[in-house]
Amino acid sequence: MISSLRQRLRSIPRGPELRKMIWEMIDNRVRIITAGLSMKELRAVLRGDPPTEKPNPRYKVITTSFIAHLRPRYYPLGATWFTHTFRLGWMTTFFFVVEVLTGLILMVYYIPFPDQAYGSILEIESNVFLGELFRDLHRLGAEAMVLFTWLHLFRTYFTGSYKGARTFTWLTGVALLAITAWLSFTGYLLTWDQLGYWAITVGSSMAESGPVLGPAMNLVLRGAPDIGTGGLLRFYLNHVILFPLIAILVISIHYYKVSREHGISLPADIEEGNASDQRKKEANRRIDLIPDLLSHELFLTSIGILALLAIVYFDWFNSPLETHANPQATPLDTKAPWYFWWLQGLLKIDPAKILENLINPILAAPLFVNMGIKPLELSLLLNSKFIMGLVVPPVVVGLLFAIPYIDRNPARLARKRPFAILWGIAWVFILLALSYMGLPEYGIETPPATRVIQDLAPEEGMGILRETPYEELIPGIYTVGETNPEEICGSDFTYTSSQTGEQVIGCAHLVEVFTEYSEGLLAAEEDGLLPDLHAIMLIERYGPDLKRVGLDVSWTDEATGETKTYTKHYFLHAERSLEE
Amino acid sequence: MKRIHLEIALGTLFVIASAVLLIIMASEEPARLARFEVEQRAEQIEFGALVFETNCTNCHGSHAQGIPGKAPCLKCPEFFSDRLGEVGWGGSLEDYVVSVVTTGRQVSTRPALYQGEGTGVPVMPTWSDQFGGPLREDQIRAVAAFIVNFESWAAEPEAPEAYPTPLFSVDVNDPIAVGRVAFVQYGCVGCHTVEGLSTATTGPVMNGIATRAAIREGYESAEDYILTSIQNPGDYVVEGFNDGVMPINFGEIISEEDLTNLLAFLMTLTEE
Repeated sequence: MISSLRQRLRSIPRGPELRKMIWEMIDNRVRIITAGLSMKELRAVLRGDPPTEKPNPRYKVITTSFIAHLRPRYYPLGATWFTHTFRLGWMTTFFFVVEVLTGLILMVYYIPFPDQAYGSILEIESNVFLGELFRDLHRLGAEAMVLFTWLHLFRTYFTGSYKGARTFTWLTGVALLAITAWLSFTGYLLTWDQLGYWAITVGSSMAESGPVLGPAMNLVLRGAPDIGTGGLLRFYLNHVILFPLIAILVISIHYYKVSREHGISLPADIEEGNASDQRKKEANRRIDLIPDLLSHELFLTSIGILALLAIVYFDWFNSPLETHANPQATPLDTKAPWYFWWLQGLLKIDPAKILENLINPILAAPLFVNMGIKPLELSLLLNSKFIMGLVVPPVVVGLLFAIPYIDRNPARLARKRPFAILWGIAWVFILLALSYMGLPEYGIETPPATRVIQDLAPEEGMGILRETPYEELIPGIYTVGETNPEEICGSDFTYTSSQTGEQVIGCAHLVEVFTEYSEGLLAAEEDGLLPDLHAIMLIERYGPDLKRVGLDVSWTDEATGETKTYTKHYFLHAERSLEE
Repeated sequence: MKRIHLEIALGTLFVIASAVLLIIMASEEPARLARFEVEQRAEQIEFGALVFETNCTNCHGSHAQGIPGKAPCLKCPEFFSDRLGEVGWGGSLEDYVVSVVTTGRQVSTRPALYQGEGTGVPVMPTWSDQFGGPLREDQIRAVAAFIVNFESWAAEPEAPEAYPTPLFSVDVNDPIAVGRVAFVQYGCVGCHTVEGLSTATTGPVMNGIATRAAIREGYESAEDYILTSIQNPGDYVVEGFNDGVMPINFGEIISEEDLTNLLAFLMTLTEE
């Protein structure tokens, strides 16, 4: 045995022969890994040299590898001009990949069960190394993905890239918009905090308002009349299995159509022939995937990753987490995520009211009154939640799907389709207007005392009261209209901030809180909303490192003459975070 | 330089920058985790205080000081030093509180001090939603965190401010208004119903007490009957209630001034 080993060792060449042999071995491995590129070729790619062999080994990567086969070998240069695509579709895909990767990590720690879901999120933030980073990245990536999906849709619409052979691609694209929306909607519930719970309750209540099948649809969606264990599990499975798989399927179709069948559209002026010959020639010049486009995409990836990390690191984005979901307490200002504000705005429109306001003044004319015609009452007939939540959105999405079939104009140049362009711009404004209407500030009246206190210390989030350092909460009773805010503490009041360790003079925060409180209530009293106003702010020690701030407002109700009160208590601990 | 070179160079730079950012974040992470945990505990105590105030003050007093005869003080030194030994609990005090709040107490462990309302009614109700109560587990854990937080005060009691509690806007010169606050402060609300203030059935309803007191035989006046009943509850026991339920030491606890105010408040509770 030893002799045979010796023989084999003897057969190994020495000197330059050995070097050549090792080189060939490495080269062979590299060719297998890169699906066709030799070491020499890789070197040429990095140096920007032309291909070293014939046929072009850079094409071989694509023709021999399954994964790389998804990509074309080259693109026409015009289709990759930045001012034509803005890389919007590419960015959307990038964020999808970010979502999958960060989501897989979060899945390891998340527990989809009502009693434990919220705790597991806290666990991710407090006990998982870089857990907060991954949660922030996942949330940020989700919002970016929705944003870029919309932008990509508008770009495709305005450049007319949905016509002819691209009709079906447009359909898959709109389907992807819906899938993205559903993925973010289902993800919203998983934190099981007040924000998610109520946004989803309001959102899914639209299904309930449907005729005949409404209650059944509600049951299928929520797993019970209200969202509970079954509902959370359904949303979770939708979010992590069903829709990611559907998304991957539809993205594949979308991508296959774009890159292998009809290619990315060229700018309209090139396709429709009024660009100069030189520009056309330039636009049709080939740009190889390897190395030119691939290096560009790696470059975009590096920008994307750096941007995401920087946004999280510098605290420009924080994924929100409100208090534990409470089915018994509807929060004061429920707010959907920004990309659903348009839907929330839509729900605030009451078509029955609008029709009544339009028709009833006419019916009030003596002619009709004499004929015995009564004013219309349409609210029973036209359920606004049903119409605005279950009829209008599907119609809008249906219109979106149907755009390539409605718009039969074959031209792509903007000036040859002015109506379509105006229509698109109008929709941008409609969406913005509806989104504005979706804000809690629009069209919802809150009683004045509740409003003042809510602005001071909102049910969720911070507000100036919670931002007041613990040391400044000086025990005492402060009466609105009697206590002068400036006299709450003199300049002899100093404390050492436990947060920064600095010496602070006076109690600017507390003064600000009491001033806002007084001014808000006194303004309401002046407007006649709070007659006989009597309001105090009481601060007392409630436990070690714990103080209670009571805001207590009483006034006389004009209609009944009764005394009404509104009281809110806040407990503030010395170690609490003063930032959101 | 061609575009591809610029992109490779910049891309490499960005990857390095990302790696540096990641390293910085990782190095700051242990401190962040520790800080988050402290802040989380603080918020849990705040939340527990809110849950306590909403659910527990009726029996344990507005500031967890306890109500004689009804429920014990939860911030007193004895609670932190003796209680676990008394019941033979092996775990931590926080776990003990969680356990008691979760299941409640069917039978009093100190019947001489806290009798409860007789058979059929637990001395402390079950609070966990697992057993039909109103509170979720995280709420119960928060209450326990709030109570355990009192430990440093139990060792070194800090004088509370003399503010009327709960937070009614009170005119301190109005004996009726101050008496109403005293009715809450001394824990009377724990057992007696007054419309708009409390709903409790351990003791007789207080609405209309002034009218009833005036016709009670054997007393000089309505005031005399009410005062006697506060200072010596066994003097007259209303039908349907037992002697020995109401603590006999209110005469010593309540100051003379408060007693006057309390009386003034109770005398406003007439029957029409």
